[in-house]
Amino acid sequence: MRSGPYTVVFVSTIAIVCSLLLSTAATLLRDRQDQNEALSKKENILKAFGVTKKMDGAAIDMFFTDHVELFAIDLEGNIDAEVDAAQLDMEAEDKKTEASSRRYPIYRCTIENEVIYCVPIIGRGLWSKLYGYLSLESDLNTVKGITFYKHGETPGLGAEIEKNWFQDNFLGKTINDQTGTFVSIEVVKGRAVDAYAGNEEKLSHAVDGISGATITSRGVTKMLHEDLTKYVPYFKQLEAN
Amino acid sequence: MADATETGEPLFSAKNRKTFKDPFMVNNPITLQVLGICSALAVTAQLKPSLVMGIAVVFVVAGANITISVMRKFIPGRVRIIVEMTVVATLVILVDQVLRAYAFEVSKQLSLFVGLIITNCIVLGRLEAFAMGNKVWPSFLDGLGNGLSYAAVIAIVGFFRELMGSGQVLGFKVVPQALYDNLGYTNNGLMVLAPGAFIILGLLIWVQRTVSGHLED
Repeated sequence: MRSGPYTVVFVSTIAIVCSLLLSTAATLLRDRQDQNEALSKKENILKAFGVTKKMDGAAIDMFFTDHVELFAIDLEGNIDAEVDAAQLDMEAEDKKTEASSRRYPIYRCTIENEVIYCVPIIGRGLWSKLYGYLSLESDLNTVKGITFYKHGETPGLGAEIEKNWFQDNFLGKTINDQTGTFVSIEVVKGRAVDAYAGNEEKLSHAVDGISGATITSRGVTKMLHEDLTKYVPYFKQLEAN
Repeated sequence: MADATETGEPLFSAKNRKTFKDPFMVNNPITLQVLGICSALAVTAQLKPSLVMGIAVVFVVAGANITISVMRKFIPGRVRIIVEMTVVATLVILVDQVLRAYAFEVSKQLSLFVGLIITNCIVLGRLEAFAMGNKVWPSFLDGLGNGLSYAAVIAIVGFFRELMGSGQVLGFKVVPQALYDNLGYTNNGLMVLAPGAFIILGLLIWVQRTVSGHLED
């Protein structure tokens, strides 16, 4: 039997060596990981814009400087030029007690004469938070594209939200009803054509769900509703002008 | 436990080869010992995550076996499980970090389950049963063998689940569209759910035990 002090020294050494190893690895890999994160975020914004052309990192940065503006709005729909929108953390903003002090980022992409707006969407799935973007055509009603770039859902089930078949469902759906009132988009259980057979109006705000991933689907419905609501005043202002 | 090999034994002696080969058939960690089932259910809905998960496990089991075997004479018996867990956790986090830096797409698919390798009983099982009592080289072979046999089983499960559940292999459509259109073929939704993995694993265990003639005592 080894003595107590030996055990303590041994375990401490192991702990220190392991933590040194890990912090070194984390520090060395940090840059690459951050680059991956940032690039993946931009790629996803582009995908939401409906830009399908394959581009490398430099080309993507070029595209952003040429075509994309990022700015912040408040819940009344006014642009706040004093806030650095790139630094905005949507979740932190949601937690601010005073609703009037919350600011949310929005991207505007101008390609030739077409203007597309893109907003971040964040919500909860079954296991994890879901992060994505949704973009609207210049009518501020029709969905141009949607993507999810970060989540921890089950591969093959909830993780299907990042697949094209799921995201393509959203294309051409509308977030406002015929009177122009915001209704958001619902992810139904099963197929939308079955759930709302014959109801064209409902069908234009509904997409197919993911079988086996009901909670993730519900999470997507909820996040779309909550996050798009924040931008509705801004969209209304744009329409009014 | 005494050392399994004497000094001067050839690297690929019959005994060492047996150490490497046994996990595949005679003593497969999943189909015979029925270990590591949780991850075998979780990541096998498609083939690609199954493959990457397999590689990650091979690295962790082999690496942990080597590390523990090197230290085996110095590890105080009373805290050995803690030391083993620390080593395993370190290796798993390393894998996770490297995947995030160099295989970003796959790491996004797997992130949660890579972390769960820490709790995979195959890893701790091999450390306790083999690395604590054997020299470095046989321990490495044992880890490699067990890791690869785990990888092989989840790859088989992943292959069948993706094929039957989504009609694809590695994301490529293999079931012809005509089959869906003309014959009313549909993907088996059960296969993408966890019970699908249970059924395939059960069948695999059945096949393997029939071949090897293994019976529970």
